[in-house]
Amino acid sequence: MPEKNRNRLLRGLRVRYRGRQSQIWIYLGKMLRMFLYQNDWKVLPMAAMVAGLVGLVIRRRFCYHMEGTMMSALAIACVCLWNGCFNSIQVICRERDVIKREHRSGMHISSYIASHMIYQALLCILQTGIILYVFELVGVKYPKTGLFSRFFVVDFFISLFLITYAADMMSLWISSLCHTTTAAMTVMPVILIIQLVFSGGMMSLPEQVQPVTEAVISNYGLKVIAAQADYNSQPLASAWNTVERMKNNEIKGSVTIGQILDYLSDPDNPEAGEIRGLTVSEGGVLTQKLTVGDLVDLINADPASGELRDQTIKIDTTVGNVINVLGEQDVRHYVEEQAKATAQEKDYEHSRANVGSCWFSLVLFVLLFAALSTVTLEFIDYDKR
Amino acid sequence: MGITWMELLYILRDSFLGGPGLFIAAVNLLYMAGLWRILEKSDLRGWWALIPCAKVYQLSRCAGREPEGRVASLANFGCLVLNALSYLVIDNSTGFYICLVLILTLRLIAFLYELQIYGGLIEVYGVRRRWMWLWASAYTSWIPALLWGWKKEYQPAWKVEDMRREMEAMASTGTAAVMDTGLTVNLRERSVKEFFQKRILLWDIHMYIPQGHMVLLLGGSGAGKTTFVNAVNGYEKANAEVILNGSNMYTQYKRMQYETGFVPQQELMRNKDTVYYTLADAAKLRLPKDVPAEVRKKRVEEVMDIFGLTPVKSSLVQKLSGGQKKRLSIAMELISNPSLFILDEPDSGLDGVMARELMQQLRSVADTGKIVIVITHTPDRVIEYFDDVIVLAKDSARTGRLAFYGSIQEARSFFGCERMEEIIKQVNREEEGGAGRADEFIAKYVEVQHA
Repeated sequence: MPEKNRNRLLRGLRVRYRGRQSQIWIYLGKMLRMFLYQNDWKVLPMAAMVAGLVGLVIRRRFCYHMEGTMMSALAIACVCLWNGCFNSIQVICRERDVIKREHRSGMHISSYIASHMIYQALLCILQTGIILYVFELVGVKYPKTGLFSRFFVVDFFISLFLITYAADMMSLWISSLCHTTTAAMTVMPVILIIQLVFSGGMMSLPEQVQPVTEAVISNYGLKVIAAQADYNSQPLASAWNTVERMKNNEIKGSVTIGQILDYLSDPDNPEAGEIRGLTVSEGGVLTQKLTVGDLVDLINADPASGELRDQTIKIDTTVGNVINVLGEQDVRHYVEEQAKATAQEKDYEHSRANVGSCWFSLVLFVLLFAALSTVTLEFIDYDKR
Repeated sequence: MGITWMELLYILRDSFLGGPGLFIAAVNLLYMAGLWRILEKSDLRGWWALIPCAKVYQLSRCAGREPEGRVASLANFGCLVLNALSYLVIDNSTGFYICLVLILTLRLIAFLYELQIYGGLIEVYGVRRRWMWLWASAYTSWIPALLWGWKKEYQPAWKVEDMRREMEAMASTGTAAVMDTGLTVNLRERSVKEFFQKRILLWDIHMYIPQGHMVLLLGGSGAGKTTFVNAVNGYEKANAEVILNGSNMYTQYKRMQYETGFVPQQELMRNKDTVYYTLADAAKLRLPKDVPAEVRKKRVEEVMDIFGLTPVKSSLVQKLSGGQKKRLSIAMELISNPSLFILDEPDSGLDGVMARELMQQLRSVADTGKIVIVITHTPDRVIEYFDDVIVLAKDSARTGRLAFYGSIQEARSFFGCERMEEIIKQVNREEEGGAGRADEFIAKYVEVQHA
């Protein structure tokens, strides 16, 4: 019988074997058994330990001020990356030969990867839950309400889960690329360093490498955590700390009262306008609360001020004294507000659109790496013996 | 961003002469002159010595270090590309320094692989290891290159292009008949492309194996036994026609992969799974979808009984003995009741009693009408279970060829040996401790086929 006819006949009688969907459940069962027998559960206590260490460091910093929030966001993103990477970095390469054998016996690579996606998602959910619980235990404080739900912790859970899961899928891909566990474990630190450097949280990067930062998970992880923690509305503590350290610095010089009055009276000078708004403390000759502006206007309105304007003031004081005169609270508020305005980042905007776009990017990473893992493993038959 | 003629000249100078300065150019020219002759001594074309990157690869062929040569030449190629790129970017810019760091990394990789190539060359020329010091430095490598290339007393132990197609004249030209039952193999060629070069692994193998036969596959190391079985079961496709019970293994691979069972040399199973679940999952994957769960379970238990695995069904695979692991590995394939069953050294690591027991079980599988092909390195202790023998041997061009296919008795008279291990010795190369008579037997078998 010619082969064409035989094939046509056989197509009608074709025996059906398990398809992609039902193979997913076979492999998921296998992975759950591995969770117990191969000690894959070890990643859960490890997540608790890492979260505990980081939690102790960030508990008085996260959501307190800009620097603390940024540092904490980076640390939390690193915890998620670390957990995700360690979950799956070895899972494929350690059984590569077994996969090759099973692929030749009818296993679908897409089913295998899909089962990994489900299994790893479960692991990531558990780890994220553990991280948040440990943070709660060590006293990390969050805002009360989230951008998408009534509870901040729900939004935060989604963010941490997506960062962990994206890192997990990235490692799954590395694991499918590397032929041995040694190779995978050698590559992993390099990947982690790249994630750390290009996150944008450690140092400002040159313009040329900006496209690279758009292609790393940590960048979106950092953005989404900082945005949810409302980084932009927090004070910049380092500016006031710097002023405080300067309190003993001496200020020497001379200036006429006229120069001071002209400066403070200039309507086009916004800085002068702000100083005019400052309240002068009661006491001494002042019997009521006045602003600097009121005082300047009073002096300018006084006809006798002409002589006063020529008087020279010799300044021989310290920064601390000036601050005391102006009122420490007011100066502090002024300095922090001014510095905050310069430190605000559009990337960390506390908005649904910003957080949503970061979540979307992380989901894209998950899908991209899962697809890459599938494509990579499809070539497993070409492995050298 | 553009490139001037001057920069183009600099790039070409760096690529062909190794860098700026007369001294470097002179050193490179001398090196290339020596290399030209070294390549010619190994029967390669001398002008390769002038081609950047390619010259390292060609030298690695002389040294018998082709894999290292591939890496070194790729790393060198990367250096050349980055060097060209560094002319395009602004000096002292971030891009410039990235190029520099990458060039340094690739150059280091290339250097380390080149050292391995020089090591191989030293072995091929049979000289002292201290020559390595001269080869290792870019400023002194021209000295050994010139000496080894131009002085007659330095000769390589072997040449790259061997007496190739002399054996091609001895092609069988015939093809095995295709039957409705049994296995027909008409393998014309199985080759691989390595770095743009074709290497023939197997050539001109034709045979028909009837159903119910248990066949021994013999051959020395590197004769192509595993390549042959991989070509037969369709894992690594060859220029061939493989027909099993009337169906083409290649064109109908998706269906036929369930008709073949291949037990690899190593026990490729998950060590941390239980015996029962390993088999149950294998049954789910390999048995048709409409087989009821009860029947599947029964089949798993039946296979466990056949291979004596029932007492350990709840144990983890890692806890099994070597023999039990082998049996489990075979059971995984047998569970789907394949028509063609191929086993790669199933008895390695087993003692005589266990090996015989295993072969007995395989014989009973063959007796149910299956074709069983077994590769083993200790055939004589189990020879009575086999019907036929396939002998593969490397010809003088290092290609795997069919030296014999027929019954055990015919093989004994064809090779003039009683024991199968003696047959292997006859066809093995002299440097492998054999008699080096492979070409003779290949030619003799071709004659028998023609007759």
